[in-house]
Amino acid sequence: MTPFLHINGIRKTYGDVVATDHVELSIAEGEFMTFLGPSGSGKSTTLYILAGFQDPTSGDIKLRGQSILQTPSHKRNIGMVFQRYTLFPHLTVGENVAFPLRVRRMGQSEVAEKVKRALALVRLDGFEDRMPAKMSGGQQQRVALARALVYDPPVLLMDEPLSALDKKLREEIQFEIRRIHQETGVTILYVTHDQEEALRLSDRIAIFNKGKIEQVGTGPELYANPATHFVADFIGDSAFLAGELAGVAEGRAGLRFADGSTVAAVPLHGRGIAGQAAELMLRPERIELSPEPGPEGASLPVTVEDLTFLGNNTTVSARTGWGGALSVRLNFGHPLSARIARGDRLHIRWAPEAAHAFVRG
Amino acid sequence: MLLDFHKLGAWRWVLTAICAVMSLFLLLPILFIVALSFGNSRWLIFPPPGWTLKWYEELFADPRWIGAALTSAKIGVIVMVISVVLGLLASLALVRGTFRGRAVLRAFFLTPMVLPVVIVAVALYAAFLRLGLNGTLPGFVIAHVIVALPFAIITITGALETFDPAIEDAAILCGASPWEARLRVTLPGIRHGLFSAAIFSFLISWDEVVLAIFMASPTLQTLPVKVWTTLRQDLTPVIAAASTLLVALTVLLMIAAAVLRKGKSE
Amino acid sequence: MFSAATRRGSGLGFAMSAILLLAAFFVIPVVFLLTRSVTEPQLGLQNYAALVGSTTYAKVFFNTFLVAGVVTLVTVLIAFPVAWALAIMPGRWASVVFAIILLSMWTNLLARTYAWMVLLQQTGLINRMLKAIGLIDQPLQLTNNLIGVTIGMVYIMLPFMILPLMGVIKKIDPAILQAAALCGATKWQALTRVLVPLAAPGIASGALMVFVMSLGYYVTPSLLGGTANMMLAELIAQQVQSLVNWGMGGAAAFLLLLVTLGLYAVQLRFFEPKEGR
Repeated sequence: MTPFLHINGIRKTYGDVVATDHVELSIAEGEFMTFLGPSGSGKSTTLYILAGFQDPTSGDIKLRGQSILQTPSHKRNIGMVFQRYTLFPHLTVGENVAFPLRVRRMGQSEVAEKVKRALALVRLDGFEDRMPAKMSGGQQQRVALARALVYDPPVLLMDEPLSALDKKLREEIQFEIRRIHQETGVTILYVTHDQEEALRLSDRIAIFNKGKIEQVGTGPELYANPATHFVADFIGDSAFLAGELAGVAEGRAGLRFADGSTVAAVPLHGRGIAGQAAELMLRPERIELSPEPGPEGASLPVTVEDLTFLGNNTTVSARTGWGGALSVRLNFGHPLSARIARGDRLHIRWAPEAAHAFVRG
Repeated sequence: MLLDFHKLGAWRWVLTAICAVMSLFLLLPILFIVALSFGNSRWLIFPPPGWTLKWYEELFADPRWIGAALTSAKIGVIVMVISVVLGLLASLALVRGTFRGRAVLRAFFLTPMVLPVVIVAVALYAAFLRLGLNGTLPGFVIAHVIVALPFAIITITGALETFDPAIEDAAILCGASPWEARLRVTLPGIRHGLFSAAIFSFLISWDEVVLAIFMASPTLQTLPVKVWTTLRQDLTPVIAAASTLLVALTVLLMIAAAVLRKGKSE
Repeated sequence: MFSAATRRGSGLGFAMSAILLLAAFFVIPVVFLLTRSVTEPQLGLQNYAALVGSTTYAKVFFNTFLVAGVVTLVTVLIAFPVAWALAIMPGRWASVVFAIILLSMWTNLLARTYAWMVLLQQTGLINRMLKAIGLIDQPLQLTNNLIGVTIGMVYIMLPFMILPLMGVIKKIDPAILQAAALCGATKWQALTRVLVPLAAPGIASGALMVFVMSLGYYVTPSLLGGTANMMLAELIAQQVQSLVNWGMGGAAAFLLLLVTLGLYAVQLRFFEPKEGR
């Protein structure tokens, strides 16, 4: 079956600089897909290629099986909400939303009807005659959303649309975007560098790094089962302890650290052989701190370096025997939090599935 | 402290006094000619022994003054239109273009502004003598566009630089063709800049003397040329009357520009 | 960063009409004029030799640089305190002064020069007032000489000095002067050691602009100075219009052009803030 939207091996270079490198992705109709990554990772370039603002060096993009690369931007029938406020400053809100319909030479009564519906969708009924300059940033982005949806585009692109807003407003509009996605069923491609925003909004997330997609999956999948060190590092806090592979078998590995301590049977990502440099990744909320050592191979001795009270938890910074740094969270009221102090020698322990090993290279 | 007016102490009065004296120095000559234009002394005695409108009557009765004013207005309007259109196209290239050498091109466009007008005037005079453009309307228009264009370009590039190109992108994704986007979104977005460029271009042409002196013929002259030739003969109060009307026009245009600026800030 | 509007490249073609117009009616005529300085009446540098060699022309150059220099100096001395005051004055008064400056700047040049011709003539208001308060017995000769030219030119140049300088002073952080005061500087020390040095680039670039504009000015010098006190721009016009000596006119124009462009190059090199590109 042909996918609804297929990004097929898109590569874009500027001279020697590779902006995107063989980006490959299929998106289902009605899906909310987020491109997440640091700036310069190629996520925006991919979006601009979809919009037609950039031409790829090679590769293709197919919508319902048809390549769209030869279609100029204004005929692609794609909706987009930009990072900056892009309402037409000389037109009222109503005329802004009507603009795509007017350039399509749509009849007056149909325009009025559709504008009304689009403004109702973003809950700005009755704002038709306002000028954009008299509206808050959040309201302006909602008008921009109405303008991008009024002509029922099959795909809506959103390029960090909330980055200019403050945190509280951002959360409010994230909620609105989810609702609008559910009500309209439009396919959304959303670019952001904010992992929390990506997790909150998306059906699936594509993690971009250095022009490539490192992993695609739902939020829980990416969190529980990161494919690469980069993904593990980018989604959620984690500690990485450097060591080397002691043995590999059936996708699991044992690791040895500088002071000779070992851990066993950790799920291994990437191929490796004994003796190769590797890292052990631990999520802070899945580590338990205890005066007693845990079962052999899933426990390490640590020394407490610092304690930081953060309200709902106390974060304990600790070092392993060979100097590896990690932190552990103790929920408020945890019996240990009142008893430990700097310099205490304790043990960390974890469930076998909570740790991951990544080959370094 | 020195940049806080209220903490300047006695110095504050010194500065205020200098400002006041300078303001009078700038303002009084202008008020002086306005007063003289209504005074009845042919020898420009001040204060005038009595008041009269006869200089204005003389001005409006003379077809050469009226003709010169109409010529000036005609040239000014044509110069205004050409400067704004060429200035807009050049600004689009300078601000939105991606070709190399844009900074050099910008400097090139501004050179007529920095060169002494007399050099441009003499050079054009020589060229127009050969081309037969001296004393013709196109000759005046070309000469004035050369000096008005830099100001139009400065004003329009300024407006275009503050207009986010992403807004034009948005119009294109909404389905507008690139030209439709420019016409329906970018042009209205920089309309204040275009209006100011129009006012500037008109005023530059309207007030320009040096080029006009070289371009003028006995049958075709602008208002400044008429003032110039009259001034070299004698200091008749008719010139005071003409000058007063020019001042009035300036004030009107300044108010128009101020209203425009206000409209922009809202 | 990326933008369709930029990528679509409103290209060089857009600027072509303006480029062609300037090439045909600005660059070529000016180049032509300058070449005539070495080709007329015959090939050679005789026009330049005559310009440099004669005392008549030496006086024109002396007049030109003297007037430009004095006008620049006087303009700076008046403009600095005014710009300083305008930068910090309470809004209402500043806007009144500002409006007067703009009005003066936009009032027709001939109208302004006419006003000074009338004010400065022997029977003019200035002479009669000076006589009335007993400062002089005989009316002073104020027009048809360089005094008249200087007064008229200062009047015209003041706005060009005040407005940019005001911008420069407005950009200075008042905290720097508060710091100077806390460091123990008296007002005079703060002025001479902090405020003036901080405004210096603005003063220098404004002064250079006024100087260059004054060098090439035509209207005011010829109306207020009279033929006996000719300046460079008048010389060029006279050579071409009355004497039909294109070689000499071209040579004088070339010297004026050279000085003008040279001083602008100095300005661009030393005073313009580098563009962030």
